[in-house]
Amino acid sequence: MADAGQLKCDEAVTKAAKGKANFSVGLDIGGTFTDIVFYDQVSGRHLNRKVLTTHEDPSLGVIEGVRQVIDSEGVDPASVDRVIHATTLFTNALIERKGAETGLVTTEGFRDLLEIARERKYEIYDVFIEMPSPIVPRNLVAEVPGRIGPRGEEERPLDLPALVAGTEQLVKQGVTSVAVVFLHSYVNPSHERAAVAEIQRRFPSLSISASCEVAPEIREYERASTTVINAYVKPLAQNYLDRLAAQLAATKILAPLFMMLSNGGLTHVAEAKRVPVQLLESGPAAGALAGAFFGRGSKVDHVLAFDMGGTTAKLSVVDDGEPVVAYRFEAAREKRFAEGSGLPVIISVIELIEIGAGGGSIASVDELGLLKVGPRSAGSQPGPAAYGRGGQLPTVTDADFILGYLDPGFFAGGTMKIDLDAAKKAFEPICKATGMSLPEAAWGVHDVVNENMASAARVHVAERGKDPRDYALLPTGGAGPVHAYSVAAKLGLKRVICPPAAGVASSLGLLMAPARVDRAATFLTLLDETDWPALEGVFRKIEADARDVIAGTGLDPKGARIDRLADMRYAGQGFELVVFLPEGPYSAKSRDGIAAAFEAAYRATFGRTPRSGSIEIVNIRACVRVAASAKNVVLKGFGSGDGGLKGRRPVWFPETKGYTETAVYDRYRLPSGVEHDGPAVIEERESTLVIGPGATFRVEATGNLAIDVFQA
Amino acid sequence: MAKHEANPPRLDAVTLRVLWTRLISIVNEASAALVRTSFSTLVRETYDFSVILTDENGQGIVQPPASIPAFIGTLPATVRHFLAEFPVSELVPGDVLITNDPWMGTGHLADVSVAKPIFLDGKVVGFAASVAHAPDMGGRTGSTESRDVFEEGFQIPVMKLCNAGTPDATFIKVLRRNVRAPDEVEGDLWAQVSALELIENRLIALMRHYHMTSLRDVAGEIHDRSERAMRNAIRDMPDGTYDYEFATDGLDDPVKIRIAITVKGDELEVDFAGTSPQVDKALNSAFCYTYAYTMFGLKCVLSPEIPNNEGAFRPIRMRAPEGSVLNHRFPTSGCSRSMLGHYLPFAVFGALSRAVPNRIIAGSGSPIWSVLMRGVNERGAQFANKLFYNGGTGASHRRDGMNATSWPSNISLTPTEVVEQLVPVRVVHKKLRPNSGGEGQYRGGHGQDILLQSKIDTPIFMVFLAERTKHAAPGIAGGQAGDCGALVIDGVPADPKKQHVLKPGGTVLMRTPGGGGFGDPKGRAAHLRASDAKYA
Repeated sequence: MADAGQLKCDEAVTKAAKGKANFSVGLDIGGTFTDIVFYDQVSGRHLNRKVLTTHEDPSLGVIEGVRQVIDSEGVDPASVDRVIHATTLFTNALIERKGAETGLVTTEGFRDLLEIARERKYEIYDVFIEMPSPIVPRNLVAEVPGRIGPRGEEERPLDLPALVAGTEQLVKQGVTSVAVVFLHSYVNPSHERAAVAEIQRRFPSLSISASCEVAPEIREYERASTTVINAYVKPLAQNYLDRLAAQLAATKILAPLFMMLSNGGLTHVAEAKRVPVQLLESGPAAGALAGAFFGRGSKVDHVLAFDMGGTTAKLSVVDDGEPVVAYRFEAAREKRFAEGSGLPVIISVIELIEIGAGGGSIASVDELGLLKVGPRSAGSQPGPAAYGRGGQLPTVTDADFILGYLDPGFFAGGTMKIDLDAAKKAFEPICKATGMSLPEAAWGVHDVVNENMASAARVHVAERGKDPRDYALLPTGGAGPVHAYSVAAKLGLKRVICPPAAGVASSLGLLMAPARVDRAATFLTLLDETDWPALEGVFRKIEADARDVIAGTGLDPKGARIDRLADMRYAGQGFELVVFLPEGPYSAKSRDGIAAAFEAAYRATFGRTPRSGSIEIVNIRACVRVAASAKNVVLKGFGSGDGGLKGRRPVWFPETKGYTETAVYDRYRLPSGVEHDGPAVIEERESTLVIGPGATFRVEATGNLAIDVFQA
Repeated sequence: MAKHEANPPRLDAVTLRVLWTRLISIVNEASAALVRTSFSTLVRETYDFSVILTDENGQGIVQPPASIPAFIGTLPATVRHFLAEFPVSELVPGDVLITNDPWMGTGHLADVSVAKPIFLDGKVVGFAASVAHAPDMGGRTGSTESRDVFEEGFQIPVMKLCNAGTPDATFIKVLRRNVRAPDEVEGDLWAQVSALELIENRLIALMRHYHMTSLRDVAGEIHDRSERAMRNAIRDMPDGTYDYEFATDGLDDPVKIRIAITVKGDELEVDFAGTSPQVDKALNSAFCYTYAYTMFGLKCVLSPEIPNNEGAFRPIRMRAPEGSVLNHRFPTSGCSRSMLGHYLPFAVFGALSRAVPNRIIAGSGSPIWSVLMRGVNERGAQFANKLFYNGGTGASHRRDGMNATSWPSNISLTPTEVVEQLVPVRVVHKKLRPNSGGEGQYRGGHGQDILLQSKIDTPIFMVFLAERTKHAAPGIAGGQAGDCGALVIDGVPADPKKQHVLKPGGTVLMRTPGGGGFGDPKGRAAHLRASDAKYA
C-alpha cells in the first residue's frame, strides 16, 4: 500500500507539471468549528480552513470558508470536481428540539406508541431519571381505523375519510410535517402508500414521511421513532440543502454536491432530502473512515480509530480496512453517554462509542475521596484554565500542559496564547484534597481519563467477541495523539499508528468515502421453509432501488459492489445477528451456504453455536457501493524533511516518576524511513503526539508514524 | 467510624481510582461475554444475571453496574457459603463450585451460582463468581403453585462442578436428564464458567502488571471508602425509627408487609417484624432475596452513585422474622419470589418518606404483569409465549411518575408486531390508561390498557402474574393512590390468580395499575394541569 501510495505521488507530480489542478472539497460542520479542506488529487496539495460555525444559517460559515480558500490560495472554482459535505446540523436540531412541528398518523389503538416506548429505564438506581420525551406529543397523533395482519393480509380496510379528518386536525394545530406509521407495513405497505397519496392530494404543502420508505423493518416503536425523526428534520434538510447548493453555485463551484451518510457512504442531495434521518451521524462517520484509510496505509488489518477532541472521545472498530457498521443507534441521548437514554433510529451507521472524555473534561475529587475526570466539560467556552478565557477549573488539557506534553509556546501552531500559571493554579484544590504534588495530580488526571477510555474500549471490543490486543490504535482529533500512547499501553496494544495531519484527519475522511446505499426489508421465515424465488425477488427489488440511487449520483453503477446481508437468529431468540451472505442469485441450493455463513458469524461473535436449533431470517439487507474516486489520497508535506529535531524540553513520564529531558520533533521535517526511540514529543500544527520511554517509532512512506508500544 | 478515618490510605487517590475502574471494566467485560454466549433470553434481554469479583474471604469488591437489583449482595454471600463447605485449604487451581440452593443463592432454583477461586503464585487471592437465570430447571416452571422446592425443580447442593479443571461428568449427566432444554442449560453453565475464566485471566494480568501479591489493600480501600460514604449519607438523615405497612394481593389472602427502619448516627437497621407468616405456595421471598431488594431500595435513597460493593452495606443491618414470607423455611418454595420482592424497595421508600421525602418515589404499579399464552395455532403448531406489561411508576417531589415503565425490575415489552407474529391474537389496542396515575402535586405514572382478541378456532390457555388488583400503589405526602389493575375477560372481571381459557374470538383486557402521586393535588402547577389534558 505504501509503495502504491508513493507511486501515485510520483504520478501526481508528473501530472502537476502539466499544470491542471483537480480539487475535491470536504465541508464538515461541527458544533464549534466548520472545517473546510481542499485536496488537489493531482499534486497532493491540501488546503485547510477552520471557521466558526454559524449556527443561525450554517451555510454562511461554509461559504465564507470556501471563499477564503479560493481567494487566498488562488484556486480556480472550475477545478473543483466534487464537494462532499458532512454536518451535525440535523443531530443538533434533534438534540435542541428545533425541528418542524411534526404529527404522527398511526393505526387506531396505538396513539401512545411513542409515549409507551420500550417500558424500560436506562439506569436502575436513580429514581429521578428523565426519559426522553417523544418528538410527537400525544395531542399531535391521529389514529386511523384499518388493519394489516402479521402475514400482510388486510384485516380491515383503511378508513380514508377518517385519515383526512385526522390529518386536518393536525394541520389545524400547526403541523407542517407528518409521519405515517401503520402496523405491519414492513410486510404490506399498501395502507401507508394509500395514506401518503391521499394526504399529498388533500394537503399538498405538508411534508410526508412513510415508515415503509424510511425504515421498513419489524418492531413498530423503533420504526415509528425513526420515521418521526425523519419527518422532524425533513423540512430543515430541504431548506438547508437547497440553499447550500445555490450558494455554492454562486462561488462558481459547479461540481456536484454529495452528502456523507451515517454509514460512511455518500449520496446525492435528492436522496438526502428524501430520507435525511440517514445523515444524523455523518460527522463522526468521516472520522472513522479516515481511521480506516490511514490504517490501510500502514497495512494494519485491525484498527481502533480513536478520535478525541474537546468534549468527547469516539472509538470505532475497523476490521480488514472497513469500519464496522451497525444497523441501529440511539440519537439525542437524554443522559449524554448512557445507553438506552436516547431515541432509537434504525438506519445503517458506522458503529462507534462516545465517551465523555476530552481535552476540556473537568477533574474533581468525588465523595469517595478519589480523583474523577469528566463527564463535565469546560467545552470551548470558557475552556481549560490555560486558555485564559476565564476557565478556573482544572481540565485534561491543563494537565497536559503541566506535564510538558503540550508546549505553551506552540499551541495550535503558536496561534493561541497559553497561561500556564492559570493551569497550575486550577490544580491547587486537587493537590490539597489528595495530598499530591502538582505533577502527580496532573499525571493522575491524565491517567484516569486514559483509564476511562481504555475501559470503555475494552468492553466495546469484548461485546463484539474480539480481543483488543489484536488492534492498532489510530488517533485523530486535537487530543487523540496526546493520549493515544498511554491508552494503547493500558489496552495491551502493540502499535499506535498516527496519521499525518491527525488533528484534522477526520475531514479528510470525507474525501475517501465511496457512494453507498443500504436498503432493508423484513422477510420473516425459517431458513428451512424459505420461499426461494420470493426471497430472490425481494433482494433484487431492494438492490435495484439502491442502484437507482447510485445512478442518481452520476457515478457508474456498473462497477458497484453489492453485498447481501440478513438479520438472522436461532428461532426463539429475541435478537438478531447481521450476517454477510454468499452472493446471489438464490435458489434452494443456496440454503447450506447461507446457514454456514450464519453459523460462522455466530461462532465469531459468541464463541460457539447451540447443538440444535432452526435458523430464522428476520430482515434482509442490500448494500451497494461504488468508489467515488479512483485516486488515493496522499498528503504533500510529510516525510521529506532534514531530521526534524527542534529541541528538548522536560516532560513528565510515570516510568521515571519525574520530568525527563525529552526530544521534541517537528512532524513536517521528519524524513520517511527514519527510526527513533521514545520518549519523544512530535508536534504538528493541529496536534501533538506523545511517545513514552522504551517505545520506538518510524516514519513511514505514507507519512504515518508507526509506534511500537513498550510493554512492561 | 473513627478507626476508618485514622487509617492512612493504603493507595492514593489516582492509583485506587485507576485500579477500581479497571476492576469494574473486568467484570463488565465478563458480563458482556456472558450476555453474548448465553442462550437464556432472560440473561440476554433482561440482564437477569451478575458476575462479580470478591476478595479471598468472599467479600464482594466489584459488580457490573447493569446487574439487576435481585443480585445485590447475594453472590458474595453465596461465595461465603461455598467457603464454609470448602475452606481454602480444600481448593485447588481449576476448581469451580456450584449451587442453586435458594437460601444460599437468590431465592429460587432457576438461578445457578458458580464461583472459581483465583490463584496467584499458589495462593487464593479472590473469587470470580457468577449467577444466571437458567433456561430451565425442571419442575413446575415458574409456577406459583409449587408447594415446596421438590416440586419447584432440580436442586443442586453446594458442590464442585469442576475438580482441578475436570468437569464432574456424572453431575452433568444427571442435570441434563432433569431439565427440559439440556443443551441450552449446559451451554449456559459453561458460558458462566468462561466468564469466570475471563475474570481470572484479566485479574492475574492486572496484578502482575502492578506487582500486587494480594487484593487486600485495594479491597480494603474500596470497602472502607464506600462504607465511609454510606455512613455520611446515613448521618445526614435525622435519627429515629420510621415504620410503614401495606398489603399486597397475595394468592388466597392478602400479604402484610411491615417494615421499621431505625436510623441512629451513622448506622441503620431494617426490621420486618410484623410481616405475614410464610405461605404454602411459591410466593415467599428467601432472606437473601429480601436482603437484595431491601438494599436496592436503600441504595437508591442513600448512594445511587457509588459502585456496588459490600463495604457500602456494612453500616446496615437487616432482620426478617424466620418463618415469615420474607424469610421462609426449607422446604417451602420461593419460585415466584418477585411477586413480593418487587414491593420491598417501596417498603423502604414508604418508611423513609418521613425522613427524606425528597429522595424517594411513591408506590409504583409493579410488580411487572405477564401473561403466558399456550395453545395450538392455525397451522397446527404449538405455541407458548409469555408477554410482559408494566404499570406506571410513582411520582417524586420534583416530577410525575413515568407512564408504563418497568420498576424496580427493568424488562422491555414485546413489540406488538412481534406478538402478532408469534401468538394467534390481535392486539386490538395498547394504550395508556387515562387518569390511572394517582393525583398529586406530581401525579403517578399511568398504567396501560392492552386488549387482545383470539384469532383462532381453538382455545388459548392463559396464566397471569398480576399484582395490585386489590391494593393500589400508595401516594406519598398527600398524593393519592394510583388506580388498581384489573383483568377483564370477554367483558367480565376475572381473577388473575386463576387459570383462564380464551375462547375463539374472545377478548382479554389487561389494565395495569397506575403509580401513586406525590404531594397535595391542590399544589399542582398550572402548566402540568394543562399537560394532563393531553391524557384525558
